[in-house]
Amino acid sequence: MSSMEKTYCHIKYRSLQWATFARSWFLIDARMQPPGKVATMCSIRLQGKHKPIYHALSDIGDHVVVINTKHIAFSGNKWEQKVYSSHTGYPGGFKQVTAAQLHHKDPKAIVKLAVYGMLPRNLHRRTMMQRLHIFPEDELPDNIRANLTEELPQAREIPRKLSEYTQEEIDAFPKLWTPYHYRCM
Amino acid sequence: MAARSMLRSVWTSFAGLKLGTNVRVQQWINVPQLPATTIQSRGIRIVVEKTEGKTTTIEGQILDVPEGPQPPNPAAKCPIYRWNLQHKYNYTDVLLLSQFIRSDGGMLPKRITGLCPEEHNKIAICVQMAHRAGLLPDHRPKLPEGHVPKKPKAQLKRYLTRWSIDSVKPIYKTGLKWCKKHMAVGHPALKDNVITVLLQEEKP
Repeated sequence: MSSMEKTYCHIKYRSLQWATFARSWFLIDARMQPPGKVATMCSIRLQGKHKPIYHALSDIGDHVVVINTKHIAFSGNKWEQKVYSSHTGYPGGFKQVTAAQLHHKDPKAIVKLAVYGMLPRNLHRRTMMQRLHIFPEDELPDNIRANLTEELPQAREIPRKLSEYTQEEIDAFPKLWTPYHYRCM
Repeated sequence: MAARSMLRSVWTSFAGLKLGTNVRVQQWINVPQLPATTIQSRGIRIVVEKTEGKTTTIEGQILDVPEGPQPPNPAAKCPIYRWNLQHKYNYTDVLLLSQFIRSDGGMLPKRITGLCPEEHNKIAICVQMAHRAGLLPDHRPKLPEGHVPKKPKAQLKRYLTRWSIDSVKPIYKTGLKWCKKHMAVGHPALKDNVITVLLQEEKP
């Protein structure tokens, strides 16, 4: 092999290596999604566990941008039942807030706390949280929008409202009972 | 006409009986459910009122309702069993649930719809969950005339809510694993439902 061919192969594999170790930016739309499912997707990508070259010491995590966190949907009655507790450190400083109250005060907090609890409890956690960007609504700053590479599909399929069905679909669905079948004299 | 004459004879026999107060009389007589083709009914009529000078004519004009597809199991009493949908519906099947509700969102009585009591309860639970999830936006109670609605408060988005929103208390102490106070999702009456949605393959 001549020296020219050797240098050519060298450059090709070097750029491949740069591509594998590059940090990508993911976008997740949290509208009508349960915050726990959004948080698992975020934590997997912040740690870098979605890559076959993962190693805990490699600092291989990606950036994740979560939008529409104001429109997050809890299953069950968790808005009223789930309680977020904290202590200020001072006596009498134990604060317990329901999910609804916390969301009203800060729409980003629920997703942030969920992701924080799902990341490994080591010193990398704070750097991974710095790479998580949460926005309550659709608006994104231009520099973050320019960095986005991939949008992840939503975890939960959003059910259709009755108003979203077309009249043809409503007519095509058979009538299960008719008024002149009712049991009476 | 044979069916109607049979009904008439049963009614007269019931009227003649003197029943004690402790005996609860069934207000209706069990008529075997016949498919639309064989039942002899006079059809649905719409009331039309016409005024010509001094004479007012009120007549019921027969509406031409096209017959729909036949159910796969016509011998069953309950509509859900007639169509073999026993454990196959969910709160998201709004097209099914909307057939059993009034225009203001309430359930129709089971003596009208013909549902058996268990299915009536399950459908009522699904309708409640659908209302709380916001899937039936047009079935709202009518506001009194002249009522100007205030700016609506931003409602929190939710799904599979069993309890009414104002009745639930926060769980301040969830307890240890062996005595955990769980936050209920869905309803135990729907536990036999088969989930037909194909689960997505988990992305690594």
